[in-house]
Formats: sequence, C-alpha cells, structure tokens
Amino acid sequence: MQKRLFYKNPPLLLLFIKMMEKLPIKSSDNVWKAGNAKEITFIVTKDCQLACKYCYLVGKNTKERMSWDVAKKTIDYILDKEEEFREESVVWDFIGGEPFLEIELIDKICDYIKIEMFRKNHHWFNSYRFSFATNGINYHDVKVQNFIKKNRSHLSIGITIDGTELLHDMNRIYKNSCKGSYKDVVKNIPLWLSQFPEGATKVTIASDNIPYITESVLHLYSLGIHDVNINCVFENVWKEGDDILLENELIKLADEIIEHKLYEENNCSFFWEELGKPMDRVKDNMNWCGAGKMLSIDAAGNFYPCTRFAQYSLREKKAWIIGNIHDGIDKNKTRPFLTLDRCTQSNAECIDCEVASGCAWCQGENYDAADTPTAYQRATAICKMHKARVRANNYYWNKLYRKLELEGIAKEEAEKHVKMSNHEIC
Amino acid sequence: MLQYLIIQLDDTSTSYCHYENGKMERRLMALEDLKAGILFAMKENLMIQFVYPDYVLPQEYKDAINSIDHNDIVSSSCEDMSLREKADVVVFNSWASVEQNGFQDATVCVLRTTKADLLDKYLLLKPVLSTVTRLNVVITDVDTFTGQDFEDYKKVLASLSEEVEKLYIESKSPQLNQLTDRMLLDKMNNCNAGWENITLAPDGKFYVCPAFYLAGDDEDFGLGKAKYSIGDLQNGLDVKNPQLYKLEFAPLCRKCDAYQCKRCVWLNRKTTYEVNTPSHEQCVVAHLERNASRDLLNNIRKHGTFFPQREEIKEITYLDPFDIKEQ
Repeated sequence: MQKRLFYKNPPLLLLFIKMMEKLPIKSSDNVWKAGNAKEITFIVTKDCQLACKYCYLVGKNTKERMSWDVAKKTIDYILDKEEEFREESVVWDFIGGEPFLEIELIDKICDYIKIEMFRKNHHWFNSYRFSFATNGINYHDVKVQNFIKKNRSHLSIGITIDGTELLHDMNRIYKNSCKGSYKDVVKNIPLWLSQFPEGATKVTIASDNIPYITESVLHLYSLGIHDVNINCVFENVWKEGDDILLENELIKLADEIIEHKLYEENNCSFFWEELGKPMDRVKDNMNWCGAGKMLSIDAAGNFYPCTRFAQYSLREKKAWIIGNIHDGIDKNKTRPFLTLDRCTQSNAECIDCEVASGCAWCQGENYDAADTPTAYQRATAICKMHKARVRANNYYWNKLYRKLELEGIAKEEAEKHVKMSNHEIC
Repeated sequence: MLQYLIIQLDDTSTSYCHYENGKMERRLMALEDLKAGILFAMKENLMIQFVYPDYVLPQEYKDAINSIDHNDIVSSSCEDMSLREKADVVVFNSWASVEQNGFQDATVCVLRTTKADLLDKYLLLKPVLSTVTRLNVVITDVDTFTGQDFEDYKKVLASLSEEVEKLYIESKSPQLNQLTDRMLLDKMNNCNAGWENITLAPDGKFYVCPAFYLAGDDEDFGLGKAKYSIGDLQNGLDVKNPQLYKLEFAPLCRKCDAYQCKRCVWLNRKTTYEVNTPSHEQCVVAHLERNASRDLLNNIRKHGTFFPQREEIKEITYLDPFDIKEQ
C-alpha cells in the first residue's frame, strides 16, 4: 500500500490536522450500529473524581495512567496490522475512570491516529469515530472543549446522569467528600446538547434506586435528553421483592410516557417491542456481546477482550489478558469469545425461557461470577428483574397501541409516531 | 456419561498423553485410597485404567488391583517385567526408549514424541506398523507448531500413509492413530476427560485427567491455578461446570469431523483458557491427520472394496474450523 510520507514536516502536519477537522464522516450510521466497526478502547486512567456506589470498577486507582509510549505502541501495532483488522470502520473509545482527566494524552493520541491512518492510507481513514463515556464534570474545561471543536465531526460523547438530583446523588458521589455530583454535571448538559443534540445518557439501576426511575427518566427528558439507555446492574445485588417494585415503577413510567405523549420524541430503552419473546435455539443463537471482537488496552500495555476483563473490573477473577503491545494479540486467547453462542453459555432454564429475548448479560460479569474461570457460564442474577421488565413492557405496548388505535393510528403505522429504542445495553 | 476411571498410582506414574510428568519423587497412593477408588469404580460401573510407576509395586497393591477387571498402562522402562509383558498399553516416552527397548510386538504402544523428533525420525516407525497391535503417536508440543511445522507434518503423514496403504494391500490391518482412526470412525472419538473419564490421583482426589493433578502447585496459565481437583473419595465428585467437558458444549468441535482428534481439554485450558475451546494448532494438526486419512482411504479403495459401509471422508477447504465458524 502506498504510504503518505509528508507528515514529518510540522507545518504540513498542522495543515493536515486542520483539514481533518473539516472532513465529514464518510460512513453512515448503519456501519457503527450494525456491528461492522472495530471497537478499540484505551483505558487511559483508572482514576475518577467519583466513587459511584454501583461502579463495577473495583480496582480504580490514581497510579495507572497510560503513558504516551504505551498509547503510541498500541496505535502502531493496530495500524500496522491492517490485514488483521478488516472491519469496515473503527471506534476509538476512551474510558477510565474518567477519561477526560487525561484530555492532553487523548488529544495527542487522536492526532497521532489521524496522522497515521492518513500516512498509511489505511482503510479506516475517514471511517472512524472517537467515543467517550464521561461523568461530565469537566466537560466545560477549555482543553476538553478545544478537543471537541477539533474532532467534532468524528466524535460521540455520552454524559452519564442518572436522573433527578436525589437519585443521581444517591449513587454518583465524589470519592473524597461523598458529596453528590449532580449540580456539577447538570450545568454542563446544555453545552453538551448544543454540541450533540442527539446525546444519549446511560442510567444504571440498582436495588435502592428503583423507586426513583419514573421521576428520573422524566427529568432527563425535561433536560432535553431524548434517549435514555437504562439497565439494571448485572451483579447479584437484588433483594427480595425488587422485581415487583421494578414492575410497578415501570408501569408508572409507562403511564406517564403514554399519557403525556412523550413516546413521540423520547425513548427509554426499558421499553422495547422485541422484548420478552421466546428465542429459537438455532436462529437466535448469536452471542450479542462484543467481547473478543473488541480490544481494550490498559496502562501496562496489556490487551483485553473488553474492559470488563481488566483486573480493575474484576472482583473475584484474574484479568483475562489476550496479549500486549510487545507480543501482539494471542489469537488462541480470543477463540473462546469468538465462538461463544447464546445456548452454550446458558442453562436449560434460560434456553427454554419463554421471555428470553432482550435478557442481557455481560460477558465480563459472567466470567467474574462463574464457578470456574470461564466465560461460558451465564450469570442469572438479573432473571427476576428481566421478567418484571417484560411484564411492564407488555403493559406499555398494549396500552400504547390501544391508545394509538383509538386515535386512528394502525399498529403498522405506529413507528412513525413512536421513537423506537435502539436497545443499547452495554 | 462417566465410563472410565483412570487411577494414577504414583506421582511418578508414566505420562501416556500430551502432558509431561516431571515428578521424580515417589508418592504411592495410599492402599486404602486405592481400595476406595476401586470400590467407587465398581459402584459407578466404571472401567479402571491403572497408570503405573516404573518401580515394582508392593504385593498388596497388586492384589487390590487384581480384584477387578482393568487395563494396565505402563512405561517401556518399567522394572516390573511381567507387568510390562502383559500390559494393555506400553508407553515410550522418547525415541531413546524405543531404541533401548524396541516396540513390543502384539501390543498397543504409545510413542510420546516432540514434533522435532517426529519430523526427524518418523521413518523408523514404518517397520513396526506391521508388528504392533496399534501405535499411538502423541506429539507432546502440539502448541508450538508453526506454519512450516504444519507443512512438514503433512509430508510425514503422507509418507507414513504410503506404508499403511502397502500393508493394507497385503491384507494386514495396521493401526496408526494419526492415519487409520479417522477412516474407521463415523462420529467424534475424543479423549473426553472430565465427561466420560476422570482420574483418581495419589492424593485421594479426583481430577479431570492426570495433567490437572501433575501441574505445579503454583502453575498458572493466566486465569488461575492450572491444578484443580473435582472431588475426593470422601465426598465424591464435585465437577464445576461439568457441561463444558461435553462435546455439545464445545462450539468449534461439535460440528467438526476430525473425529480422531483428542480434543485435549488440558491443551485447551493451557492455550485458550477454556476447556471447551481448542487452539489453532490443535485444530490444524487434527485436520492434517483427517485429510491424510481421507487420502489414505481413497487410495486403499483403489485396490478394492474397503469398509464399504463407511462414507467417503469429504474434501474440505479449511484446516481450522474456526475459519469457517460463521457457516
């Protein structure tokens, strides 16, 4: 492949970076959402300003910050192995801790990626995104904002806000003071939405915050966040009766959404029409989780099938390392993930479950909770919560379709009137 | 369903498979444990395979062993000559031991060899194919195969195949696991450790196979200790995630037709971390053997009717089923 060699000339380099800022994304949304994109995650830091009570990152610390040397070697390894990374597009993902704590490193990484993709005439050139999930606290920081301006057309940023101040501050607290972070996040929401009008947030539900779901989702809609991706934690934290609480709370939410026609402009991923159907052993046997197809890199330069397999994410098990920046990826270590299917990792009750569709799992949590060091034992702590969600979901769609029908809108036409969920889980 | 109990009588009992036994210090299973193991097998209706050390066992052990129908697996350097002569399986742990003792006629022999030695000395196998009842060649470093090794191994198989074909034409029926097993199989015939057979070790505990016992106390392939037991004589079996040892829970293997493959769960654990997932190297080696068997079967059939009830082994375009997993 012909390489572009001019880039070592600094003035030209600056010109090139400026030119890149103006390039629109070549690929359509379908490329990203249909799973045709490679997701590469830099764990740039294991530090965070917050100590969220439900955070699965049990090993956060201030010491493990990625160096430029590790980042560069990672990029060189990946871009030099173009024949092994054949996906049509790439999502360069940055995670922490809180990724924007390392904005200077990230900026340097992104510049280098762009330059190298161009220099190598790489097929990902102009078919890439930079993606962030941030707590939003330093979103307004000038360095972050400069980075956003520079990369705007290739950027996806999600800010995590759990809902009302009460709910948010129950869990998302500062690590040293236990003070809630809501006020520091919500002040940045208007700026974020002005830059990313389609911005979505991810809400995590644990046992204690079930009663606050309705008011929180409605609050997020009122802030202008129209896509609320929400899920119950996969860990075994659920108490007796939580399923009934969830069912009742979601029915309350359904009533609010339907009564106030919020379904026209907003989406809450708890309600998904395909949820709660039986699944065929053969036709519906795919493993939806991307672990193994993704690649995560930490400060030590180790590769993981997903961030959830790095040591700081694991309570019980050892890190599942599949290679490193020096030796590359050991493909034998990714084979179990790339051959995983739904039925092989599920018990008989899950396989035969009549409301199986939409019941998610986290491959990393499966591994962490398994009786042996395996990714092939599906954790089922979420079972009763899924079934509660299915009951409320059935209620939602039955009520909504009947309402639309009474308004003269046929079921087949409903999609034009209802903002549908993209069913984002992980 | 569990069918076999392998009893590793001593820490120094011979390896008969891919794993190495580096233990030098004797640790003979307690006589009471031996008797309890035999009782367990009787009650569970299991066939016992005893794996012997090189030294002569005390008479009370021999008496206990002879109290039940069983198979004996011994090393070619076993000092108990009478045991060696009547053993069901004699293991040669190196080519030097072959040179020293010679293959035992009319016996099932296992040759454990490195790939380098096999590539270098395979011609020495040709003369013995007609004298032994069966020869199992076990490559002890399958996980180290690289591209050129695969090419070389393919040539070795082709060369040995010529000899086997010649013997078949002479109406002999040599058995060489790498070439003749697949011809005669119509379904998977793997090791199935942890599913159809388990091992009782000298410490009185059950293991998936001897390799899981012989691993060092601190040996770790990456996800935790390589050595783990699956129960003991006092409390019985306690296999965690037992389904993962079964063929139907091995996504790559359950659709595979390299029926002669050992599907070694120890190598799987070592190379991919998962007992149900084989490495690229194990798959390619098995498929080179499968394809060599196909050629052998086709060649033999050119000389006349041969196993007409067996279907032809299909031509395939891959050596690693992982490459066609989407299909």
